[in-house]
Amino acid sequence: MKILVCVGNGGVGKTTLAAAMGVQAAQRGLKVLVLTIDPAKRLATTLGIEGKKDITRVPNQNFKGELFASVVDHKKTFDDFVMRAAAKSEAAKKLFENKLYQQLSTSLSGSQDFTALEKLYSSYESGEFDLIILDTPPAKHAIDFLNAPQKLSVLFNDKVARWFREPKNNSVGGVFLNLLNTGTKQVLSIMESVTGSELLRELSDFFLSIEQWQERLEARITNVHRMMVDPETQFCLITSFDEAKLLEAEYFLREIRKGGYHLRSLVLNRSYPEWFEGKAGTLKEKPTGAEKLFALYQKEKIFYDQRDREHSAFAEKLSKETHVLRIPEVAEPISDLQGLIRMAEILKEKGDSE
Amino acid sequence: MTFEIHFVTGKGGVGKSTVAAALALKKAKSGLRTLLVEIGDQSFYKDYFHLPEVGFNPVQVQENFSVALWTGQNCLREYIIHLIKAETLYKLFFENAVMKAFVNVAPALPELAIMGKATSGPRHHGPALPFDCIVMDCYATGHFMALMGAAEGMAKAVKVGPMGEQSRNIDKTLRDPEICKYYVVCLPEELPVRESEELYEELERHFGVKARLVLNKVLEEEIGSNEYTAAEKSSSKEFQTFAKDDKINRGIHREMRGRLQKLDPQLVPLPTVWDHNVQRLLDILSERLS
Repeated sequence: MKILVCVGNGGVGKTTLAAAMGVQAAQRGLKVLVLTIDPAKRLATTLGIEGKKDITRVPNQNFKGELFASVVDHKKTFDDFVMRAAAKSEAAKKLFENKLYQQLSTSLSGSQDFTALEKLYSSYESGEFDLIILDTPPAKHAIDFLNAPQKLSVLFNDKVARWFREPKNNSVGGVFLNLLNTGTKQVLSIMESVTGSELLRELSDFFLSIEQWQERLEARITNVHRMMVDPETQFCLITSFDEAKLLEAEYFLREIRKGGYHLRSLVLNRSYPEWFEGKAGTLKEKPTGAEKLFALYQKEKIFYDQRDREHSAFAEKLSKETHVLRIPEVAEPISDLQGLIRMAEILKEKGDSE
Repeated sequence: MTFEIHFVTGKGGVGKSTVAAALALKKAKSGLRTLLVEIGDQSFYKDYFHLPEVGFNPVQVQENFSVALWTGQNCLREYIIHLIKAETLYKLFFENAVMKAFVNVAPALPELAIMGKATSGPRHHGPALPFDCIVMDCYATGHFMALMGAAEGMAKAVKVGPMGEQSRNIDKTLRDPEICKYYVVCLPEELPVRESEELYEELERHFGVKARLVLNKVLEEEIGSNEYTAAEKSSSKEFQTFAKDDKINRGIHREMRGRLQKLDPQLVPLPTVWDHNVQRLLDILSERLS
């Protein structure tokens, strides 16, 4: 089984590209699952997953293989995970009622990344698909996605938990109590004066509830990590064009290699309009009756010519180690399966396939 | 003394950071000591303004105009040290790997610290921040609501004590239309428009805040249909396709503009600028942001 993880900043067309890559793989005869995060209404309708929580076969398809899609339901995935991880169901129930947990499972930055990975892993475990394509949550920086599980893992780490569980009873002890010893009382009183005792109580309740499932969580995170660094799991970085974004992409590429992950391609999405043909297509003489339009055309032409040069320089710089794809922006919004098939053709034309 | 806080948000990729920079530039030109703030671990403006470094302490870009990069972690750190007046105690408590990680993911705490710092001027609370105007380049929509809701959520969870009191205070300031202004930046495309409509309504419903909608990268010129007809006869295929796509795009832009104007009649349209030069782009955009 293979996995393709699409990462990138928000608003770069990740979801659409992920779906188009799914179409392409299904055309090649694979059984594919596309896991999306927050698809646009029309895309959700196209994929047949609007308002649904389960894995759904994409309607009206006629591919050699088969295309399935699903939206990651964060709340449900998080709760399911807790139910599985909590040793006793009362513990899970108590946790569901904890105010901090409620915030944590819904609005915490990073929790969406966690649930996306969790959903990916359970689909992977099921062994039902040849290829799973994961569209990742919008992030300010693509790299955040890779760090999310570790961040969360530390939160549920027993050491932290023990520290909070133990304001009064010395018998529980714990590494940090021993470490801080005399400082602890002072520290807790400072924290109390800053936050108020209620917060401390909520915190200590929270950590009491998650007692004893650190081990399961750690095991899960280790397995997820193993899946992510497997050579069969490949990353596709999708980015838009501008100087700052390209620098960020370079940084991401370095990080992804450092982390032992495998990169398939770097996609510069919507990097030029579909009509743009480069030097070859340039119209020089003014067409009669379309003067205003021609002036605009010239302005845009100069703009995209310059961008084209910058792109080429960037792709050249990376070409040794990375496959860089430039995808045009299509004028008409993709609103049906035909649109995705067309996008899949563009991807194929640009050489994106295994 | 007047004090302004401007929050700029919107879906990812719509040009929030550019609009925030243009707004900050405009405020700086009007004579206000302006701080443009970005949130996160990595600076976008560092490369954008070709600065050697952007960090927690403001870096001056030009007269009256500075940039800073805040994280929840360093806002919280600064605040707590300010409160307990003892860095050693802070270090004891926070400067270990576990607590650092905890603060990073702890529900609402980083968000609260950021919003607390942003509103510290008008609340006369917290470390000094010597600016008249703060422009916040905020996270994309989802994270922005987490920022907005942090104070309210914390106030509900912690009713008594200084934390509860400050949280209520922050929440109140955020709802004060004299101090805080909100901008939802959008592109004339289906998906960003839908998200902006939802965000606009959510801000109004939940916080009683009337945001300003900013429609970025609009094709504004009116092109007569005779021009398109003439372009069809052109010998250049590229020009023909350009004209065809231009017509489609302008149609979409008109439709999206109409949709957003129904929500906010004072919608600010910003033109598409066919120029790679940042300074010229910001000058054009800041002229339009009135």
